[in-house]
Amino acid sequence: MGNFIYFTIQIMMIVLLAPLVNGIIKKIKALTQKRTGAPILQMYFDLYKLLKKSVVISQTSSWIYHVTPYLVFATALAAALLVPVSTMVTPTSFPGDGIMLIYIFVLTRFFIMLAGLDTGSTFGGMGSSREGMISSLIEPSMLISLFTIGLISKSTSIYQMMSTAKLLEIPLVQPVYLMIFIALLVIIIAETSRIPVDDPATHLELTMVHEAMMLEYSGRHLALMELGAVIKQLVLITLLANVFLPHDQLIHLTGMGALILSLLFYIIKVILLAVLIALIEVNTVKLRLFSVPNLAALSFILSFLGFINYFLLGR
Amino acid sequence: MTNFLDTLSLLVLLTAFILIANKRIKSYIRTFRLQSLFIAIGAGIIGLESFAQEGRFDALILSVIMIILKVIYIPNLLDNTYAHVDHTVEKDFFLNIPILIFISFLLFLFSYFSFSSIEGLHEGKVNLQMINLVSVVLIGLFFMITRKKAIGQIVGFLVLENGLFATAMFVTQGMPFIVDLGIFIDLLTGVLIMGLMVFKINEKFDSIDINKMKNLRG
Repeated sequence: MGNFIYFTIQIMMIVLLAPLVNGIIKKIKALTQKRTGAPILQMYFDLYKLLKKSVVISQTSSWIYHVTPYLVFATALAAALLVPVSTMVTPTSFPGDGIMLIYIFVLTRFFIMLAGLDTGSTFGGMGSSREGMISSLIEPSMLISLFTIGLISKSTSIYQMMSTAKLLEIPLVQPVYLMIFIALLVIIIAETSRIPVDDPATHLELTMVHEAMMLEYSGRHLALMELGAVIKQLVLITLLANVFLPHDQLIHLTGMGALILSLLFYIIKVILLAVLIALIEVNTVKLRLFSVPNLAALSFILSFLGFINYFLLGR
Repeated sequence: MTNFLDTLSLLVLLTAFILIANKRIKSYIRTFRLQSLFIAIGAGIIGLESFAQEGRFDALILSVIMIILKVIYIPNLLDNTYAHVDHTVEKDFFLNIPILIFISFLLFLFSYFSFSSIEGLHEGKVNLQMINLVSVVLIGLFFMITRKKAIGQIVGFLVLENGLFATAMFVTQGMPFIVDLGIFIDLLTGVLIMGLMVFKINEKFDSIDINKMKNLRG
């Protein structure tokens, strides 16, 4: 029963916090360009407005197009359940949920790509093909990164990875963890369609990847797709925050107080990582599509260096 | 403390990988500056340690010289040189960038296997810093032979030298002071001469692409 309440809180927290994280990133981008920018809570207003509106659907579309928004939202919630927000509470840790997390994301992406092709618009197909290329380039490095941390903690369960990292003093100073951290940062930027790989703010034919597949959606379908995308982003940031910057060794309390304190620490870490991602986005330019393999190769080699260093050091 | 040096040596290797994935001369120089900064920090840590234990302070002096020379002076010199020759992105490599990165990784694996096969070098555990830094030397050499522009080759030479210095510094806790100083002065004159050469090449051939130097004119 206690676990059930905790899970409800966790899901609510991730769904409610996710648009806020996006708002923070957008606000920092606006401030560095000397604009005032939209308010931090702008995405909540947008979602509220979209949820009230009716849906326009192309007549040539099939069932895939109708199912995709709900499926995107549902898989995002499932991914949010797999990554524990606070390491104080044991979640449903069955073996293999690191791999499960990756393939839940792949399922989402598969359906988004199919739906992009489904309506027969020109942009959808183009976006799908680009998304397919980027995801196939990114996936090996994501698998190797998670497997390396899994080897250190001797389990693919994400909860186990987090509690192993908790035992180290500062995991980020360990060579293995440092390499995997940088590799995962590149992966998160590519997965959540941030600037070096994809520009989330434009609707220009040359640059858009993720937006091209979203053009056809309207009303509550669009709201669900956007919410699903930001939840996915927050889940990946949570993974990064809790594996590489564990905070539970700072807390010397037990029971309910520790849980609340741990959630507060968690929010601080997420905001720090959001600032880091925003700074990366501000300081880089959009890569040409054919330069993305260079970035992916670098990320793959970084995760592989971490892997080899694990064998050298044995920890 | 060795753990921290391990991480620093891995960061130096990481900058070498970032360097080989780059194609803009401005970011070559910036990455080289970052790499020198990491090595200078490592030398500073070793210097503090040896100062606390034995009272020697030559590693500290070397760290300061490293910061003045390789973090500030030589990158500024290269920037100046670059500002006076023509600006172009390096477009054509002999191989494409993912293959270059992959070959550099094979070089890292090569140094790993060759070091783990030497007996007497390690007590049951392979020395991580040595592998990382020797592969920096190899990657610097590889960088030098894959770039067509003269400035890229100068940076490759500098990275190679950085790798040599860092290997000597991290693994043996510092060579004799005079030797290191001699290497630095040698390097400085080398880079000065190479910078002048780039000016001359640009003047003569209207480009710093070394492929155009095949048809030499008097």
